[in-house]
Amino acid sequence: MSSFSRSAQQWATFARSWLLIDARMQPPGKIASVCSVRLQGKHKPIYHPLSDIGDHVVVMNTRHIAFSGNKWEQKVYSSHTGYPGSFKQLTAAQMHQKDPTAIIKLAVYGMLPKNLTRRTMMQRLQLFPDDLLPDDILRNLTEELPQPREIPRKLSEYTQEERDAFPMLWTPLVDYKRLLPNF
Amino acid sequence: MSLLGMFWNQTVCLLQHFRGRKNRCYSLAVRAVRRAFVYASKARKAKRRSMRQLWIQRVAAASREQHMKYPALIHNLLKCSVALNRRVLCDLSITEPRSFQSLTALAHARRTEGLRAALGDGAEPPGVFSRITQLQ
Repeated sequence: MSSFSRSAQQWATFARSWLLIDARMQPPGKIASVCSVRLQGKHKPIYHPLSDIGDHVVVMNTRHIAFSGNKWEQKVYSSHTGYPGSFKQLTAAQMHQKDPTAIIKLAVYGMLPKNLTRRTMMQRLQLFPDDLLPDDILRNLTEELPQPREIPRKLSEYTQEERDAFPMLWTPLVDYKRLLPNF
Repeated sequence: MSLLGMFWNQTVCLLQHFRGRKNRCYSLAVRAVRRAFVYASKARKAKRRSMRQLWIQRVAAASREQHMKYPALIHNLLKCSVALNRRVLCDLSITEPRSFQSLTALAHARRTEGLRAALGDGAEPPGVFSRITQLQ
């Protein structure tokens, strides 16, 4: 890098890169916080709020995000257009049904700084419900960000050897099936 | 020597960019110039605050690039009696990335020593970096 000319070094430092993140089985809030940090440029030591050094962020598989707890039924997104009688309340599940990218979009919008640069940063965020990305975006991508949450393996994904190697936590009774409650 | 002439001679460079009649008419201009001076005085104090905030944001970004968080970095550099202030750390992180990387490595080493000393039962020998005494 030190062999570059000064103008080339400057260009490389201030260039806007395209970052990819896979949202499969991830909590949307964590994805959104990672996106907002990158969109503002807060991950760069040359950060300044006025310099517009945020990167582009492409989020794929937004249809497969995973809320923890009962948020799919309990989290409510409210909106009001200003006209009487137009107060709408949608649960996260209904919102996701209507538009698979809306949850992450609203989350990122709420996490960006509430100033005039927010709209330009949202323009630089690209959301895709599945992993089918258009060619021009695929060509621009430079880096994939690691997923914030480690996906736990399902029981069916463990091999029989691993299941046998797991230590016995307690010794069950020989006829434990007798004690199971039958509904 | 008219006061009006003195006023315009001294302030014309300051109020050229004001909006509306504040850049032309004496009564409005006087009030606008006084407010501008007040804002400038307040901003001189706020400038120091905002510069420090910017340095902290930049050092935090650079340390996160090196897999370390800002509070951990600052605390551990303090424990190693490295008295670099945030301004210098910010400049190093931009112009001398390798030096900043070595500073984060130092802080990381001191941190792991501190954690080992806290979690262990004192049977292990104390670490190398923790032998540096505190600054007075």
